[in-house]
Amino acid sequence: MFEKLIDNSMEKSPWIFHINAGSCNGCDIELVSVLTPRYDAERLGFKLTGTPRQADIVVVSGPITVQTRDRLVRTLAQVPEPRVVVSLGSCPRSGNVFKGSYAIDGPLEKYTHVDVSVGGCTPKPEAIMAALVQAAQILAEKRKEMRK
Amino acid sequence: MENFPILAIMTLFVCAFIVSLVGRRNVVVRNVVVTIAVTVPLVMMLCLIPTVFIDGETIVYWLGNWAPEADWAIGICLEVDALSLFFGLIVTVAVFVSGLYSFTYMNHDDSLVNYYTLFLMLSGSVLGLVLSGDLFNIFVMIEIMTFTAVALTAFRNTYEGALEGAFKYLAVGSLGSTCVLLGVAMLYSQLHTLNLAQVSALLSSQGTNPVTIAAFAFLFIGFGSKAFLFPFQPLAADAHAVAPASISLMISGVLTKCGVYGIIRLVYVLYQNYDQPIVQYLVTGFGAISMFVCVTMAFNQHNFKRLLAFHSISQVGYVITAVGLGSILGVGAGLYHAMNHTIFKGLLFLTAGAVQHQTGSLDLDRLGGLGKRMPKTCLLFLIGAASISGLPPFNGFASKWMIYQAAFLHGVTTGNFYFIFICVVALITSVLTLASFIKVAQSVFFGQLPEEYKDVEEVPLTMRLPMWVLAILCILTGLFPDFIQEKILTPAVNAVFNVMGYIDAAMGTGYAAASGVTAAGIEGIAVTGTWSPTSWLMLLFCITCAVAIVFLLASPDDKQKGLPVSSADETAQPLDAKYEPFFSGEEAVYSQVGGSDLFWGFKHNWRRYFHFMHDWHSGIVNDYALYGVVAIAFVLLFCIVLL
Amino acid sequence: MNELLLNLFYVLVFPGLLFCILMGVLLAGLDRVWVARMQRRVGPPLLQPWYDFLKCCGKETIVPRHAKKAVYFAAPVIGFVALMTISLFLPVVKGRAAFSGTADLVVILYLLTLVSVCMMVGASATGSPFAGVGLSREMVAMISYELPFVLVILAVSRVTLSTDAVTGLPLTFSLQAIMEYQEANGPLITHWSLIPAAIAMLFVIPCEVGMHPFDVSEAETEICEGTLAEYSGPPLAVYKLTHMVKMYIMTALFCVLFLGGLSTGILFFDVVIFILVCALLTFITMSLPHAVCARFKTEQVFKFYWTVVAGFAAVSLILVWLGL
Repeated sequence: MFEKLIDNSMEKSPWIFHINAGSCNGCDIELVSVLTPRYDAERLGFKLTGTPRQADIVVVSGPITVQTRDRLVRTLAQVPEPRVVVSLGSCPRSGNVFKGSYAIDGPLEKYTHVDVSVGGCTPKPEAIMAALVQAAQILAEKRKEMRK
Repeated sequence: MENFPILAIMTLFVCAFIVSLVGRRNVVVRNVVVTIAVTVPLVMMLCLIPTVFIDGETIVYWLGNWAPEADWAIGICLEVDALSLFFGLIVTVAVFVSGLYSFTYMNHDDSLVNYYTLFLMLSGSVLGLVLSGDLFNIFVMIEIMTFTAVALTAFRNTYEGALEGAFKYLAVGSLGSTCVLLGVAMLYSQLHTLNLAQVSALLSSQGTNPVTIAAFAFLFIGFGSKAFLFPFQPLAADAHAVAPASISLMISGVLTKCGVYGIIRLVYVLYQNYDQPIVQYLVTGFGAISMFVCVTMAFNQHNFKRLLAFHSISQVGYVITAVGLGSILGVGAGLYHAMNHTIFKGLLFLTAGAVQHQTGSLDLDRLGGLGKRMPKTCLLFLIGAASISGLPPFNGFASKWMIYQAAFLHGVTTGNFYFIFICVVALITSVLTLASFIKVAQSVFFGQLPEEYKDVEEVPLTMRLPMWVLAILCILTGLFPDFIQEKILTPAVNAVFNVMGYIDAAMGTGYAAASGVTAAGIEGIAVTGTWSPTSWLMLLFCITCAVAIVFLLASPDDKQKGLPVSSADETAQPLDAKYEPFFSGEEAVYSQVGGSDLFWGFKHNWRRYFHFMHDWHSGIVNDYALYGVVAIAFVLLFCIVLL
Repeated sequence: MNELLLNLFYVLVFPGLLFCILMGVLLAGLDRVWVARMQRRVGPPLLQPWYDFLKCCGKETIVPRHAKKAVYFAAPVIGFVALMTISLFLPVVKGRAAFSGTADLVVILYLLTLVSVCMMVGASATGSPFAGVGLSREMVAMISYELPFVLVILAVSRVTLSTDAVTGLPLTFSLQAIMEYQEANGPLITHWSLIPAAIAMLFVIPCEVGMHPFDVSEAETEICEGTLAEYSGPPLAVYKLTHMVKMYIMTALFCVLFLGGLSTGILFFDVVIFILVCALLTFITMSLPHAVCARFKTEQVFKFYWTVVAGFAAVSLILVWLGL
């Protein structure tokens, strides 16, 4: 009965969980600016949660250092389905300037399927916003697929 | 029928000796004798219900047929009115449950013959106390009770602190017994009789003088010490922590009730001074202080049974407070709570015993996650915890709710702010109790299961059965408060106020009127609030059904697709990270997160109080004896100066 | 038969299940919009809480390894249903409750406690240490607001104490008596000695609901949502719904205690005015502090409630006691 309603709501209420996998804090700051009054992602229903159990969209920033690798994998496993993974900035994509370092073990694709990827060092808030909206759409589709 | 009281007491005492004679040779015979000994008194008390509760008669039995001669009661008598029977029922039910529980619970211990002998003597003495109509007899029973309880506390004398706890109990408990003896002696010197009924009549016709008032003070503090009221509560904590759980049930459920019974008899029947504000201040004051101090002390405890012990005294504080109000509703509420206290506290002690039996530990810091290994015990514990914290619809709520009303109404009718303050203390204590029990639930039954308890098993049915008896009583007495009020509390409260009937039953009709006692019974307990658990449950059921229907309609035909639920039991590999608790991505073993002091915000603001209380409970028996002496001196001065 | 249907209507539609949920969603949505506007944001759509609820319903539920499954699922449902029953005892319109003979003010106090307890037990049953920290904070928050709440209840009951016409017994803590008193003498907020109590009650509302400056137990950044750390899927949705409905119940309770007795005589207008008043109270007690204050520390919450708020309530109680 409510399946349709739930499907529609998926897109309208995506909750974000942010994982910092060794980021320089640049992308994190930009993500915060997306959520704060200037860009106000809450008008689209986005909300930051504190635990992966409640997350729909996992935003990963940073080049996946060796130290964070296991923690990242463990936390990603704890997010319930349906879920969308967004890689934020150039680091999780390619390693960026850290590429080749003994201390990093990227890219993010090695550990999980990345649904949306935002490039840039750092990406502009507008780009992050566009990526999140796209992620929300993917989330709704995943939900529909899951039902089938 | 009128032989039943003495037969019930005799059964327990005689069986105690039979057990010690034959029990050493044959375990089966021993168990059979114990079963008979704990069942027969219960049946006899139940048989007395029609006569005493419904017909309202008072059963008087003169030992050796030494009936009063020329209006002087020389012989010893057992006088069973509804109040005595009410407490008699509480005692026999508790003894029955405790006895059944002991069979399996005590199977790790040896020299059980001694245990059962002492246990039955303890039961017999307590039953003797509440059924007795003679002051000196009460003192004798208190002595037997104290000494057997001390011996049983020290029964597991290999445990750390067992002998220490027993010694403290012995030393300071004797102080209380001495007070009772002193009070009895003073009364005897003044009135030349020891019969409760006659003492009551003579006190009423001759009026009080300083000696009888001093006797009142001594008896009050003596009975108070038996109920472990403030400042005697450290003894209870030390004794409970080391005693076997079945004995903890007896100490908290039955021994403290003897103190309550004594105070009710003293204030309402012997002296009939319950309507004097000074007495009300005294009794409710002691009750309220015990209630609050003990609940805050429970916050600091790390031993399961020690924590329960403090809560036990806190709840007895409720009972004493309600009784001290001197109103009909107050006495009714107090008796109701006394009954409920025995039930839920017994249940909690038995669950603590079950945990101890299976894990060998009572340390709240080491236990955890047992809800998965002992689900039935966990459920029983939750019922008990909900009852003691006064959550509707369990019995603790029904009686506490009456206590609040009684305190509030008494405050309104007397116009005295003191009683409203008492009401606030009672309400806050209830919340603190709740908080404290959530801590226990969190640290014993929920949370993470430590490695060493991975293979703990559920307790056997023989131990669960007594617990279920109490749990079902918890639910029933909570669900039908109207029935309890009408059928059980009204006769008992009537007996409390019907002093004339009590005197006449023992001394012959007309004796009370001749001595100027006119107090007659009551019509009924007028409960003024509205609380109907059954209709609340109906509403709850309706809404649950509605919610369930919506959920069923909402989920599609194939459950797998609609509301996927995954849990570690079915699908997961042993170390699948998906089912590990979230530790910010860290592995569980490396996590530094934990809630060790669950009441930090509260305790931080009250740190001076907690430091003071911590130092005050020094654990030195000399200190505890000193507190006892100070309390005696205070009550003595208070009574002599103000009464 | 007619009576049965009427009772069913009370339970399921008004003022029971359906109305509660609608009001809860409305108030929670308004709160979020207002907070956004005060922070110069556009804010989410009004129905955002409803979308959140539905979304949670459609997610997977992961039961952690250490969790006790039965309690994990039962706790949110019992809490929600117990909260729903409270709405049936509040005489919100026409001065009478749907089921007035079942519960009084003290029972409502305890049912509210029961809701918090269900949350704590559920959190405890997940076996997460973050939930352990969260529930300890929730416990301290509960101890904090309970004292002023109790004092307010006693003060109000003292003023409105009346005797039952049939039995001649005093009626204590009766919501019916409170409504009748207000119908005869005007709303209790006009009773000057009760104004401090009303202020105290305004402070009790956000803490009882667990709104922002006092949401120590669900601090998402410090302790990963605290009590809700391990909840996902439908059980989480039920918790969120409970939270919303609690906003309605608490504002309605304030209306009953201090603003009752006024009536235009037309049921429809009464309901509309009631809804508007609830919304106004939501703004004053929840949105405003949310937008203005940062989250308190646990011990600050306790200190604030046991000194300032309890002080207000105690002043009121003493004034009332002196017959003023």
